[in-house]
Amino acid sequence: MRRVSRGFIVFILAFTVYVVYTGSISGYDIVTGVIVSAVIGALFSNIVVEKPIKVVDPRRWLHLLVYALLYFTYYEAKAHIDVIRRILHPKLPVNPAIVEAPYRIESDFAITAVANSITNTPGTVVVDIDPSKKNFYIHWISAKTLDPLEARREIFETFEKHAKRIFE
Amino acid sequence: MRLVEVIVLISTVLAVALLITVGFEHLVPSERVRPVAEFYLNATYNQYELRNYTAMSPEAVTAIVWDFRGLDTLFETSVFYLALIAGLALTRGLLLERAEKSGHGLSIIVRTVTRITAPMIVAVGASIGLHGHLTPGGGFQGGSVIAVLPMVVIVVFSASFLVIKGVTTTKLLVVRSLGLTGIGLTAIAVFLVGITLHMPAYVFQNMAKPDAQISMPYSVAGALISGTLWFFNIFEMFAVAAGFSIAFIALMLARTLESSRGE
Repeated sequence: MRRVSRGFIVFILAFTVYVVYTGSISGYDIVTGVIVSAVIGALFSNIVVEKPIKVVDPRRWLHLLVYALLYFTYYEAKAHIDVIRRILHPKLPVNPAIVEAPYRIESDFAITAVANSITNTPGTVVVDIDPSKKNFYIHWISAKTLDPLEARREIFETFEKHAKRIFE
Repeated sequence: MRLVEVIVLISTVLAVALLITVGFEHLVPSERVRPVAEFYLNATYNQYELRNYTAMSPEAVTAIVWDFRGLDTLFETSVFYLALIAGLALTRGLLLERAEKSGHGLSIIVRTVTRITAPMIVAVGASIGLHGHLTPGGGFQGGSVIAVLPMVVIVVFSASFLVIKGVTTTKLLVVRSLGLTGIGLTAIAVFLVGITLHMPAYVFQNMAKPDAQISMPYSVAGALISGTLWFFNIFEMFAVAAGFSIAFIALMLARTLESSRGE
């Protein structure tokens, strides 16, 4: 039963990709899409999601929407402006360093979401991760601090708060 | 020495520039279509005027590859199959030893993204293969896209991870052989029907010809499948996906085993 519900999530994902990629919803596309997605769902049911109930929770989707809107408008713009200022500044005020910063989330999806959020904002890149010590190693264009907890607060504490609501 | 280098460099640049200038009119396709191309473009999807020549597929490239010159494509696929068999024969001693544990692979971030994109890759590949008779693409292209997945999994996890999960070269070879058998059967399908009904029919026949009136259905329940083209594309998709996967696994597993022996 669990495998079926996991597979169903994969089915939805595969069917969406199939239809969007094909770019049409004629009867032929829907019939072949359903067959293809059912096969994919059966094959990949055990590797994509662990707890399918999380995927159908509307509150998590709402949090995701809020986070996406905030991230792509506010946080992205803020980071871009900061990096543009540093590039155009005649003195090129950079202070690059790789800082260690601990994360406090458990699930693979949340860790991935936070790490990709950090990397996607200009100025910070996750270069490595140590799951046993629960540490990110982040390259920072203007390291304000080398203290792990300070760096965590500066770079990704808000991302982590959102990711926790969405994925955990 | 320095002067020679500069002269060589400048003359190379000038030669390429000359080539481009002279060849320019040939590089830009002319608006005039050559007679052969004009015939194919007119015949590829033409139920009325050229019904003895048509392949009933709006995608001219697929029509040429699997109908107008289908025999050629059949032999190309067979050559690829023989090359794979030869490759497997080379690595057979290595592949018999299974790697015991799956490798650690790349970081948790890459692994999680791969978990999400894995079904998406297969969905895109299947879409390309199943729409080969309608839009650019087809069985070979769709199968190649699907084969990206084992390659990504091998890089992100390890070659032994695939084998442990049950994706072995033996199973893939069975898929590959079934795909090829399907291609072969599709090629003689109309011919076999002709023998049973005591009517003239050709090997590799798709639509009806003046002296052979049996025809593959070009649509099923209103959906265009272009007769044999749909079947060729599907079987080719399985055959190519399995074929490339075999090659990737054989290469990477052989290397993994060799390096672990060296330790």
